[in-house]
Amino acid sequence: MEIVFDKKLYKLEAIRSAIGAFAGLADFVLKSNQRGIAVKISNIDPEAADIIDGEFANYVLAQMKK
Amino acid sequence: MDKKISQKITVDLKIYPLEAIYGASYVFIDRAYLFLEPAGKNKVAITFRPKEDAGAKELENITGEFFNELLNYAFRLNLSKENKKIRQHIIEQALFAASEPAAEKFSDSGLGYGEDDDPLGIAIPWEEKYGQK
Repeated sequence: MEIVFDKKLYKLEAIRSAIGAFAGLADFVLKSNQRGIAVKISNIDPEAADIIDGEFANYVLAQMKK
Repeated sequence: MDKKISQKITVDLKIYPLEAIYGASYVFIDRAYLFLEPAGKNKVAITFRPKEDAGAKELENITGEFFNELLNYAFRLNLSKENKKIRQHIIEQALFAASEPAAEKFSDSGLGYGEDDDPLGIAIPWEEKYGQK
């Protein structure tokens, strides 16, 4: 699973903060490319598999407000 | 972000600042999953995916409420910009008043209020009123 965050809309610090918060539920690999900041999520906790992408994106968005 | 039902709306950044979008989005993160993407020059697309099994009608309500919240945030940001100078002036005045030396209020001994605090001379010393033990 991969989520690509646009660089103009999401800050790298917010994404890093979210990775720190969700580290116990999955493995995260952060890559920056032309499209934006790509977060590859793998080895996801089965209980969180359905919601992790949405919750992760929401967490990043919440960090943007701070 | 394409699971179940979702709805995408486009917001013009010339009308609503990005700060307002973040603020309004924050209000809805407990009801829906939101994802922001660029949608051309000065436009942002926001995808809404409800958290629980909500129907299309409920999703429509969420996006409608989002636009109202967006308007609310944009208005507050404008108001905040307009009142910036007044706020700064009030803070400056408060800090200036707080920085005045407080010792002036006290008598020379520094132990309490001076004689000027009883201009009519009606205060009676404790010893005169109750006598000495």
